[in-house]
Amino acid sequence: MDGTRAGTTRRRMTFLALAAGTALLVAAAALPGAAFGHGQAKTISVAIVKNPQMTDIASLTPSLFTKQSGIKVKYTILDEGKLREITTRDVGSGGKSFDVVMIGMYETPQFGQAGLLQDLTPMAKADAAYKLSDVLPAVRNGLSANGKLYASPFYAESSFLMYRKDVLAKAGVTMPAKPTWNQVATIARKVNTPDMAGICLRGKPGWGDLGASFTTVLNTFGGTWWSSTASGKPAAAQVNQPAFKTALDFYSKLVQDAGEKDAANSSFNECLAQYQAGKVAMWYDATVAAGLLEASDSPVKGKNGYALAPVDKTKASGWLWSWALAIPKSSPDPTDAWKYIAWATGPGYIKAAGTHTKGGWAAIPPGTRASTYQIPQYKKAAAAFAAKTLAAMKAAPITNPGTTKRPGLPGVQYVGIPQFQDVGNQCTQLFSSVIAGSTSDGDALSQCQQIAASAIK
Amino acid sequence: MTAADATRKGKAGDPFSSPWRRRLPLLPALIFTILVTQLPFLVSIYYSLTDLKDKTQSLIPQPTRFVGLENYRTLLSNPFFRDAMWTSVKMTVLSVLLSLIFGTAFALLLDRKFLGQGLVRTLLITPFLVMPVVAALIWKQQMFSSLFGLLNKALEFFGLDSVQFISDHPLASIVTVLVWQWTPFMMLIMLAGLQSQPADILEAANVDGAKPFGIFRQLTIPHLRRYLELGALLGSIYIIQAFDAIDVMTGGAPGSKNVPYFVYQESIGGGFRYGSASAYAIVVVFASIIIATFALRVLSGLLKDEERA
Repeated sequence: MDGTRAGTTRRRMTFLALAAGTALLVAAAALPGAAFGHGQAKTISVAIVKNPQMTDIASLTPSLFTKQSGIKVKYTILDEGKLREITTRDVGSGGKSFDVVMIGMYETPQFGQAGLLQDLTPMAKADAAYKLSDVLPAVRNGLSANGKLYASPFYAESSFLMYRKDVLAKAGVTMPAKPTWNQVATIARKVNTPDMAGICLRGKPGWGDLGASFTTVLNTFGGTWWSSTASGKPAAAQVNQPAFKTALDFYSKLVQDAGEKDAANSSFNECLAQYQAGKVAMWYDATVAAGLLEASDSPVKGKNGYALAPVDKTKASGWLWSWALAIPKSSPDPTDAWKYIAWATGPGYIKAAGTHTKGGWAAIPPGTRASTYQIPQYKKAAAAFAAKTLAAMKAAPITNPGTTKRPGLPGVQYVGIPQFQDVGNQCTQLFSSVIAGSTSDGDALSQCQQIAASAIK
Repeated sequence: MTAADATRKGKAGDPFSSPWRRRLPLLPALIFTILVTQLPFLVSIYYSLTDLKDKTQSLIPQPTRFVGLENYRTLLSNPFFRDAMWTSVKMTVLSVLLSLIFGTAFALLLDRKFLGQGLVRTLLITPFLVMPVVAALIWKQQMFSSLFGLLNKALEFFGLDSVQFISDHPLASIVTVLVWQWTPFMMLIMLAGLQSQPADILEAANVDGAKPFGIFRQLTIPHLRRYLELGALLGSIYIIQAFDAIDVMTGGAPGSKNVPYFVYQESIGGGFRYGSASAYAIVVVFASIIIATFALRVLSGLLKDEERA
């Protein structure tokens, strides 16, 4: 009996192994088919970040771009963190995976200066339809190094405070036009109920997630990640300084007392979903969110007020950011890549997005061009926030974000040195677990100090 | 046949004598293996002695310098690396132990005839066939999520407060997923063990009036010992490399970062310090070799005991 049992088992195992092997073979055979399926049509690969405006452009590309130009676009749409990891690796190693990459204002001047990106200035100047002079100066400067434009802005943003006018009115509080963080914290705790959190603040690890929101708070509370030498090199880590602790305690206590559910996993997209679902009364985040809150398909349309980024010790604290398209030095086909960039970030697409997307005029990619703010339909649809967005972008303290000199290239919600990406990612992991309550602020700060100190050695 | 026998048969020194003829076809495979495993390893050792960094990691790219043993010296004093080692140990030991216990329990239940046995066995094996990333995503979104996870919906139903499983208990969440994935593997090994148990001895024990628990404790457990050891060894070798679940669920949040994830973050996962990452990786390779040698020695010793007994 024993023998027959073992026999059946063996036979079954052989069958299983054969089945698994066949499955692998089939999968392997299917892959090249998919990769070489298309014939002669020119194809470029583009990596973009997963945000609503970018998802829109990906779905509009076949009808608005490929039809006219004959260039097919293969998109890789990734979360902010993964996109950075992949583009940094690809651009840095001279890889040829992408013809166009979407990078931010943090990476652009760094990569440009290091000679990893194509200089777009000649192509942009030669292309009359692109209208280089129309690009807002603050954004253009942020995406340039030594006077050369290294990426073309798809959208640009500052940060400000969004709030539900109806909820605050019901609670009998008014929001000042230029609030301080203490005022905002008081209001958040007052309007906080079990069904609706007082405020949504980013808590998800990542220097561009929690790191961005938190660093603007840190700046205005008088703290900094590193001190700077006179020549702009990082001098010493400043995470163990009292101002840093004050900022972290303020931020984490506010989220714990009056913040959104599961804050340690929430960033822009999660807060957007919670705000639109009526689960939070206020939200401090990118100005680009306002377009989505006032979009024609938004459930909270018309219910929102907007105030400048809250401050403490500085006059302004809003960040400056742009997601922009760049061509890696190693791109095999820069001419077609530029054709795509000129279309995607030119004035033409902005107008097309107004009539072709679900969100309508309010949700078009904002903040990149002066002409956007002259479009009559946009002026009407974005009446609630367009002026506030422009004001916030002008107020963003890009060259002097805090109370002391910063090392590296200019930046508000980040420090313009390559080491910040890794330090920011690792430290925000610690801070995120402080927000979740599983790490003490003291432990997090002393570990982060070590990370920040060893990174600049 | 041992090597000594073979040499005696073939003519000494003649490369086409029988042992060489037998080895020749293996040579391409051997050369290939050396090319794809040992050469990269040597290159890694060289990298570990330099400060090689990604080009994006300095505003003005600097040439790579040879730094000697500097990377190894900083490694020893790095508290984060020690934390990662400790996390690796906890994660592996907990996952292996728990999946062995559950696997043995399921194997005992399956090792008898009942209606629908085939269906139950297939269902129990399924978690092992799910891709690790998918398994982690299922648990993250459908089970643990504090907004729409099943566990929190259940807690809500009983009027309890919701728990942010992944944020508050990162290590326990990851171990849960690993145990869920590896229990079927252990179950299969234990099932093989149970089915190789000689039926005549069990029958004799029954005839002698031994109680079921007595049979289990005094006959089945000693018989299963080899299989338990095999399961623990194979399980440890695989689970010590856990990566997918960590990346998907916590992204390396404090308390959940094991050594592979640490090395990943130091290298292509954001740190881009290939020099020091190589040093970490090499230390891990040597540590694994030591542990594996030790484990194998224990195992072969036990096997010899069995033979003698």
